[in-house]
Formats: sequence, structure tokens, C-alpha cells
Amino acid sequence: MSLDAASRARFNLERAAVMLLDDTPLGMSILVQIVTGLGAKTLYRCATVEQAEQVASNYELDLAIVDGMAPSGRGYDFVRWLRTEAKEPNCYTPVLITTAHTPASDVARARDCGGHIIIKKPIAPKVMLERILWVAKEGRPFLFSGGYVGPDRRFRNDGPPGGVGRRREDLAAAAAAEAAAQTSPETPPEIRQAS
Amino acid sequence: MTSVRFVFPKVRLAELIKTPGGLTVAEALERAQDNLDTLKPTCVAELTALLEFAEAALDRLDPAFDDAGLADLYAIAVRGIGAGAVCGLPAADEALGSLCDLVDHLRTGGAYDRAAVGVHVQSWRLLMNPDLPSEAARLMLDGLRKVSARYAA
Repeated sequence: MSLDAASRARFNLERAAVMLLDDTPLGMSILVQIVTGLGAKTLYRCATVEQAEQVASNYELDLAIVDGMAPSGRGYDFVRWLRTEAKEPNCYTPVLITTAHTPASDVARARDCGGHIIIKKPIAPKVMLERILWVAKEGRPFLFSGGYVGPDRRFRNDGPPGGVGRRREDLAAAAAAEAAAQTSPETPPEIRQAS
Repeated sequence: MTSVRFVFPKVRLAELIKTPGGLTVAEALERAQDNLDTLKPTCVAELTALLEFAEAALDRLDPAFDDAGLADLYAIAVRGIGAGAVCGLPAADEALGSLCDLVDHLRTGGAYDRAAVGVHVQSWRLLMNPDLPSEAARLMLDGLRKVSARYAA
């Protein structure tokens, strides 16, 4: 997912309608500065879930960036509402969830509300752009099951990235190193060779 | 048996980002960073105000387990996360994250350590100093993480 910050590749967010939901003025300002810097021009700024529901009911959205709104976690409730109650096409809108901190009691709620991806604060512009480009990828199916409505969270397995060993190899290497350490826990190698 | 249904919606965003015009990645990231730089004074002021609230909340914290007091501190700290990176004080963000972890662990586990909370708030004050050597900040953050990890389930 890593993006080259010096890339000359072009993208265009000028015509995208982006909804931002954050209940803190500073959090909202940071989001606005990042998203406008990336080229978005149509922003719907919402400080409450009620405002966000109203916007989602009246305007077609291309992207929603929703803060989890800890400690209440009401941002997750909004995403669930969007998936289950909003009309098409907004119920399928790509959703990036931002969070400063997720309390242990809210982890399942954050995971299951129906967002595409969670971004932990502090948010760097590069990370935001990477995630926007990622959620914009076509062909991601939506899943309607008993307790979950949202994007399919199963990722295609493209194998390990180039240059990085596989987990199995990491484990084998770690086990070999541990076995070697146990063979002579305190004996220096040169003494073992001599005996 | 749960029934599962798949839908393949058309993502308009995918078409929009490919339309002619727009920005290069390099231009966009530079513009976004320039925009964020305009928020530096606001972020310093916000973090300072939150720190003062946190210090007052710490003073009010009961010596015995004080769930409401911890919830107040959590609500203050969580609002500040993200501001530090914008105003050149990224260590403050990490200290706030560690404070949120600690308070969450304490509330979840029903444990209480007022001194551990206090050291986080005091460190937050020290980490607001832009002239603090990075090695000192690193050591301080390592210590804070160890303190909060002590209460992780």
C-alpha cells in the first residue's frame, strides 16, 4: 500500500463529494486541511452524528471520513447506520474511520460497524492519500450477513511482498537461533571448538 | 443458518480519481503539509489548554479508585491525540496514547494507580517543550509505555 511521496502519478478528487465527521474542532480542522490539500473541493463538515445522517440522507457521497468519536464511539454507530439505513448509493460509500484511541470495550464495535479501513491518529497526509486510493479500488464486494453489513474484509492473498521473508521462515530462523542458544548458554564459541 | 449475500456496487470514487486534471501525488502531499503547517499555533494552544484541564483533573482524582475521574482524564487526553504531530511535538501524541492505554487498562481491569496516571500527565508537560532533546523524549516515552503495559490484561 506504500505510496511514493515524490510520485508524478495524478489523481483527481476535485469532483468527489466528501463527508467529514469529527466532534472536535481541531480534529475537523486537521481533516479539512489534509483533504483540501489533496484536492477535494466539496466537503460536508459534520460535528454530530445527527448532522452526518442528515447529509447522508440528502446528498450523494463519494467518500466519508468518520472519526470514531472516542470515548462515546458514536462515529461507529453512524457508519452502521449508513450501511443499514441509508439509501443507495450512499449505503455503499467508501468509509475511512479515524481514531485517536480505541478503548478495549469498543474494538469489536469499531471492527464490525462496516467501515473500509481504520486509520490511527496522528494522520499523515501520505497515509490519508494511500487509504483513499485504496478504498477507491473497484471490485470490492459488499457483504450482507446476519450481524454484519459492509465491505468484505477478506483481502486477496498476493503472497509475501518482495524482499520480506515468510512467517514460516521467520519462525524457523527464530527456532534455530533459540536452539543454538540453548546448546551452550554460557560457553563462548571458541572454548567449545577447543574441547 | 445465516444467509450471506454479496453485492458488487459501482464505486463512483474510482472513476472520479481517474478523471483528467487533479494533482500529482507529490503536489498533493506538499499542499496538504503546507495546509497543516498553518494549524501549528492552534495545535500548540489546544494541547496546552488540554494539558491544563488534565492537570486539574489529576488534582481532583480520588486517592481511591475513581472511575469517573479516570473517564474525565481519558476524554481530555483522547482529544489531544493528533495535534502533536501537526505542531512538531510528536512525542506528546505518544504520551497521550500511552495515557489513554493506561486509563483504559485501569478502568477495564478495575485496578488503580494514581501515581502512574500522574507520571503521564507530568511527562506530557515536559514533552511540550520543543527544545527537549530527542533522546530524553525517547527515554521518557519508553518509561511511559512500560508503566501502561504493566496494567495491560
